[in-house]
Parts: sequence; C-alpha cells; structure tokens
Amino acid sequence: MATETTAAGRPPASASDGAPIFEATEVVKHFGGLFAVDGATLDVRERSITALIGPNGAGKTTFFNVITGFYRPDGGSASLSGTPILGRPPHVIARLGMVRTFQITKALARMPVIDNMMLAAPDQPGERIVNLLARPGAWRRREHEVRAQAMELLEMFNLEPLANEYAGTLSGGQRKLLELSRALMASPRLLLLDEPMAGINPTLGRRLLDHMRRLRAEEGVTFLFIEHDMEVVMGHSDRVIVMAEGRVIADGTPQEVRTDQAVIDAYLGSGTVAERGADGG
Amino acid sequence: MLEALTSPPVAVTLESFTDVAFWTGVGIIAGTYTIFALGLQLNVGFTGIFNFGQAAFMAIGAYAMAILTTETAISFWLSLPLAVLIAIAFGLVVGLPSLRLRTDYLAIATIAAAEAIRLFALNARELTGGGQGTFGFSDDWDSISETIEGWIRDLGWADVPTLFPLLIVVWTVAVLLMYVLSRIQDTPWGRVLRAIREDEDAARALGKNAFSYKLQSLAIAAALGAISGFFLALNLKFVVPDEFLPIVTFIGYAVLILGGLASYWGVAVGSVILWTVLEGLRFLELPLSESRIAALRFILLGLVLIGLMAFRPQGLFGKREEMVLGD
Repeated sequence: MATETTAAGRPPASASDGAPIFEATEVVKHFGGLFAVDGATLDVRERSITALIGPNGAGKTTFFNVITGFYRPDGGSASLSGTPILGRPPHVIARLGMVRTFQITKALARMPVIDNMMLAAPDQPGERIVNLLARPGAWRRREHEVRAQAMELLEMFNLEPLANEYAGTLSGGQRKLLELSRALMASPRLLLLDEPMAGINPTLGRRLLDHMRRLRAEEGVTFLFIEHDMEVVMGHSDRVIVMAEGRVIADGTPQEVRTDQAVIDAYLGSGTVAERGADGG
Repeated sequence: MLEALTSPPVAVTLESFTDVAFWTGVGIIAGTYTIFALGLQLNVGFTGIFNFGQAAFMAIGAYAMAILTTETAISFWLSLPLAVLIAIAFGLVVGLPSLRLRTDYLAIATIAAAEAIRLFALNARELTGGGQGTFGFSDDWDSISETIEGWIRDLGWADVPTLFPLLIVVWTVAVLLMYVLSRIQDTPWGRVLRAIREDEDAARALGKNAFSYKLQSLAIAAALGAISGFFLALNLKFVVPDEFLPIVTFIGYAVLILGGLASYWGVAVGSVILWTVLEGLRFLELPLSESRIAALRFILLGLVLIGLMAFRPQGLFGKREEMVLGD
C-alpha cells in the first residue's frame, strides 16, 4: 500500500526550495458517502513554515487526522523523510518526528504543567515498567535531563512561574503555548499545528509566530499549520497550500496563492473549484 | 426526659463492640477489599479505564489457587503465583478486545466477562464444585497460621483469635502493595498512565502507546484481584460462586469513592470505614427482623456515601482541585 511516490504534477514551490520532509499522495478519507479528503496530494519542504488553508469543510483537519494516524485512511500514501507513515498508529508517527497539536487544546488538566512537559520527552526508559527496577539509574538520569529541558522551554514561553500549577488552571492562551512547548518537548522535525492562533489575543499570537520562526532557525523545525487568519497566513508563511472539497487546489507563495483564480472562487463560492473525478481520485 | 435518655430507641450492645474475634474478621475483610480496590484505583483513578469486572479476577485467583492445590500435585505456595498469572492472562483476554472501546462500553464488557466467569464457576461442577464450592486447600496456610498464633501467645496474649494471623498477613501484604503502587505511580510510567486518564489522544499524539498502557494497567489490576481472592478464600476456607457477584465490584467502587480517587492510601481508609460501618451496624438493636436490619445497613451506608458526596465530593483522600478540574 505505502509505496513511495513523488508528488509529480504538482507545481514547483518557489518559496522554499529545501527537499520535502513530508509527502502525501492522493490521500483519501471518506465518512460514508462524504469524501472529506478526496485525493489530497501535497508536500512540505524541510525548514519551511507552510500554511494549510481553505474554506470550512475543506478537509484540512481531517487531513491532519489521517496523516497523524488518528483516522484510518481509505487510500493514498504519505511519507516522512521517506518513511511510509500512512495507516500507522499515532504514537509511532509521533516518535518518527511528526508531532501535532489539536484545534481544541488538550492540556492534561489534572497534571501539573511540568508533568505535561516531561511526559512528551522521548526515550525515557522509565516509561517501561520493567526498567523501573532494572534500570533505576538510567531513567532517573533521563528524568533529570528532561526536567531541565522542560524548564528551559517553559522559560522561553514565559510559563515558568506556572510550572507546578495544574494545567487545567491555565487560560486559553496559556494552554496554546503549553501545547506548543509540550509538542516541542517531543523533539519534532515536523510540527503540525491545527489553528494555533484561534482563540488567543493578537499579542500572544505574534509571540507564537516569533517562536515558530526562531525554532525553525535554531532547531531546524518544519511547520505545517492550519490557519484561518489571512493576515497571519500571508504575512508569516513562506508557502501556502489551499484545500477545498478534500483536494489541494493551489500551492505556492502567499503572493501566488492570493491571486489564484481557483482560490478566489473557492473562498467566494463561485463556480466549481475542482473538476471532480468520477472515482474521487 | 431523663427516662428517654436512659433508654434510647436505638441501642448498641457494647460487648459485641469489643469482641476481638469479631473485629479481627472485619479487619480481614477490610484488608481483602483494600487489595481488591487497589486494582480499581489503578484502573479508574490513575488510568481512567472503568473496569467493572474486578470480581472476576478475585474469583479466578481464589478458584485457581484452590483447584491447583487440591486437584493437582502443585503445592499451595506454587499455586499462588500461578493463580496470579492465570488472572493476568484472563485480564489480557478481556482487555485486548474491550480496551479499544469507549469508557461506557468497556464497563459493560468487563461486567459481562465477570458474570461469565461466575456462571462458569457455578456450572462447571467437575472443576469448581458448582454451588457447593471448593475446599480443602488451606492446610499449608493453616500450619503457618498456627505457628504465628504460637508466637503471639508467647508474647503473652493467651486468647488470640484463630484468624488473627490472617489479619496480620493480609494487612502486611496490603501495606506493601500500597507502598509499591504509590512508588511506581511516581515514575515516568505512572505519568503516562495519568496522561491517558486525562486525554488519551493527547498521550498518543506525544508518542505514547495508550493501548499498551491500558492493558498493563488492567493486567496489574487482575493480579491484585487474584491476590485479594487468596485472602477471601483463606478467610472462608472455601470458595463459592456467590462470593463473586457483581456487587463485590460495586462495593470496591464504594471504597474508591469513600477514600477518594487517585490515592492508594485512601483505598485502605475507605475500606476500613466502609466495613466498620457495614459490620458495626449489625449491633444496632432495633425492633426489626434480622434480615431487615441487614438491609438497613446498606441503606445507612448509602446515606453515608450521599453525605460524603454533599460535603466532601472528592472523597477522604482525593484532591479537591483534581475533582474540579476533571471537567
């Protein structure tokens, strides 16, 4: 099923010319007769900040859920740095370096902020019950490192004073920051953010964007984010992929996408956005 | 006025309240249910999985120990770890298909599995003795018990109750288990369990194999259920299916609610309080038949629980913040 395919036929992205870290080909997900994702093909260049946009119901979140293993795909393939991932369970995909956040933040409410952070760290031998006795030194050492790393990240996001508070006591904006910093604890190579700016004030939003740019520069993290705020999309991403009716209808720099007739039609709802194949791709 | 005070309508006979043998029995039941409910605490309080079949693991522990000891050449001592392994195997068999289910479906699946075990025990007469039960497995324990009894007598307590050694052992085991469980809860492994309790999808998105952890949690609960089954069997000296009705699991939940979620020590306190109330109320002298008084005990226990929900909904040892934040 998961043979490797190159995203042939897709217009070349002029903005970021790095090699693709992620490629999806003809991904399909339907719910009964509804083709929520209807043959979506796209790639994400390494170290890019790529926005995934589209009108409501375009299939963006469903696409995220399929490629991160939360939904079982009905067709297509996807790979992360050449490793096939489509159809594999979420925890395997996360460990391969593709980590996601959720549209509605998932703070682990009855756990302290610091535990939220430390949970996400990979390679903790103490997460295997036999190692608790067999390798007590190893997991305690790792725990030590992880705590230091977590505090560093919390400091960066100004959440340090809240480290010992229950995550459930955080405000909506703080939860967004916690979720992003928690995802970073997992040492991702590709971060998928589902509407990171939704529900937070503009100041915090700008800070979030600054963090994203800095993380790309310093850690080499690649970002793919779903966003509705066009100002954010056009001003802060170097590539924009547009979905409508379960397919990718445009792909390019913010400038290119802004003037693309198919995109304008999709948003304004005039005419058909894509000629739908009889078999849905 | 004075007369009314000297002859209250409800009286409690003091002799029975100071009856050491009686309270030894209550203590053993409380210790047995502590171990039983530790498994529920791990599942419900720390992993967020609603295991309603804990009575089945208790049954499997008790029956496996009894049958292996009496029907095979296996010694009583070897039967104990084997019975634990059998209970764990059953836990995996129940968990593999059902742990993928949503909370409420899981509850139904586990209660059904537990009833299946009980009804099997009731009908597989060749193996289990059916409704008559299985007995004659406790010789090895009895000789140990007599030895301990001898030691206590040597210390100067002449009329030590026969069951007192069992009381000592059940609580030693219970405290040991509480200690070990509390310790492993405070590790990265325990942290993953709590994350799954809070939000399974978030845990999965961070690279944790939630299903595997839920299975481990259920397997450990099964082992704890089996151990509590040993003490139930040694206390009664026989094993019958009626000891494993669904109400046994429900009483385990009452212990959890009393003690508070996410506290292993709370389980012990909850169990002691529950059984003290339940058994202590036997001494109520009311102008009622014995069966009515027996029923009344549960009504009063219900009132205690309702009162607790009203004034301390987090239970005695639960954390109020965690209760409020739990959506």
